[in-house]
Amino acid sequence: MIFVENLNKKFGPNHVLKGIDCHIREREVVCVIGPSGSGKSTFLRCMNGLETISSGSIVINKHRLDDSKTNINLVRQEAGMVFQHFNLFPHLKVIDNVMLAPLKVAKTSKEEARAKAEMLLAKVGLAEKMDAFPGNLSGGQQQRVAIARALAMDPKIMLFDEPTSALDPEIVGEVLAVMKDLAQEGMTMVVVTHEMGFAREVADRVIFMDQGRIVEEGTPEEIFSTPQHGRTQGFLSKVL
Amino acid sequence: MFRDFGWQDLVPLAEGAWLTIQLCAVSGILGVIFGLVLGIARTSPSRIARWISTIYISCVRGIPVLVIIFFVFFGIPLLFPGLEPDKFSSAVIALTCFAAAYVAEIVRGSIEAVAKGQSEAADALGLNYWRKLRYVILPQAVKIMVPPGIGFLIGLVKDSSLVTVTGLLELTHAGNVVTNLTGDPIKTFLVVAAMYFVICYGISLLGRLYEKRTGVHVDPLKLPEPAGV
Repeated sequence: MIFVENLNKKFGPNHVLKGIDCHIREREVVCVIGPSGSGKSTFLRCMNGLETISSGSIVINKHRLDDSKTNINLVRQEAGMVFQHFNLFPHLKVIDNVMLAPLKVAKTSKEEARAKAEMLLAKVGLAEKMDAFPGNLSGGQQQRVAIARALAMDPKIMLFDEPTSALDPEIVGEVLAVMKDLAQEGMTMVVVTHEMGFAREVADRVIFMDQGRIVEEGTPEEIFSTPQHGRTQGFLSKVL
Repeated sequence: MFRDFGWQDLVPLAEGAWLTIQLCAVSGILGVIFGLVLGIARTSPSRIARWISTIYISCVRGIPVLVIIFFVFFGIPLLFPGLEPDKFSSAVIALTCFAAAYVAEIVRGSIEAVAKGQSEAADALGLNYWRKLRYVILPQAVKIMVPPGIGFLIGLVKDSSLVTVTGLLELTHAGNVVTNLTGDPIKTFLVVAAMYFVICYGISLLGRLYEKRTGVHVDPLKLPEPAGV
């Protein structure tokens, strides 16, 4: 589903990703953990072209991201993204946030887009907030709307960039619950997170990144209980 | 040889004020249209578009308005023989050229003030550049542009007094004419000043009305930030 080969990313002289190799299968839930500045968010953002690739290749569903002929907007329709700061459109009602891409990108009919948006909002538990503006919702509610918005395009992959890092601790759970449901439905997910509990419980595989490299990867059991690498052990001893 | 400043002198001044209003309305509207285009070009992914608009904006902003007015008024008939725009058209062209550059900078600033995350979210949904601009960026940017835009329009009304040099009978020129008739510059220009004030104050009231209507008390730094965090 996602093939990453020798991915390198440089911001000027800053070598942020140093040869990432990674293969993510369909229906797999992969959590990427690691210290700040390890390149995990950049890695995720490369997967839907929010960051350009310096060298190497990424193939998502047969679309080559490093090929300039690839229509990046097609790739993005297949890979939904959820951001740390939600990035809902503040001038649009909740329902219109969810309907925007289906209406304007997929050219779905208005009735169909609306029905779908209502269904998705009900799914994330926010059916009653349809006509509210994002500014009137709590952070946890906004993030759930953001998940519904990303799902509206029927993506085959969902990318989560620290989806709970901007939330108060007591509302983190409501967002994680939605993500967990999604994982159980078989969505292919890549989640950059600091929520070790979530990674341990939901992930099929955990990737530990440090200084632009994948240091270690394995099942949650392997990473959390018997980490092989010194840096993984050091990181986990600080966060667990 | 002078007569006293009297009620009858208000007529040419009012006519001048009306002409000033027409002049500013036309060049203001045209300036906003061209300014939007230039401002969008200024932030566009196309290098050529950015290049052209940047050159235009820097040039116009580096030239005094009065020089632009002279240039259009004297230059157009020489550059394009046979084309002799009347005084009003010349003034509109000059003020439009001037306004477009300043409006473009306001537009650029407002587009850039919309949080980067908004653009990324639109990208991530697969919206192409124009759709992103139309449905995500501009609706938010417009709200940010209104306060500085209103400020600029008020400035435009005041700067429009410079076209008096072309002999167009706008408010300032009418004031001059009345002064020559009455020999009373103090009363005359007090009235002229009051008329400018009324026009400008009217514009700022319109701006405030818009802000109230849309509920925007624009705080560009706070606007895109999610609440409840």
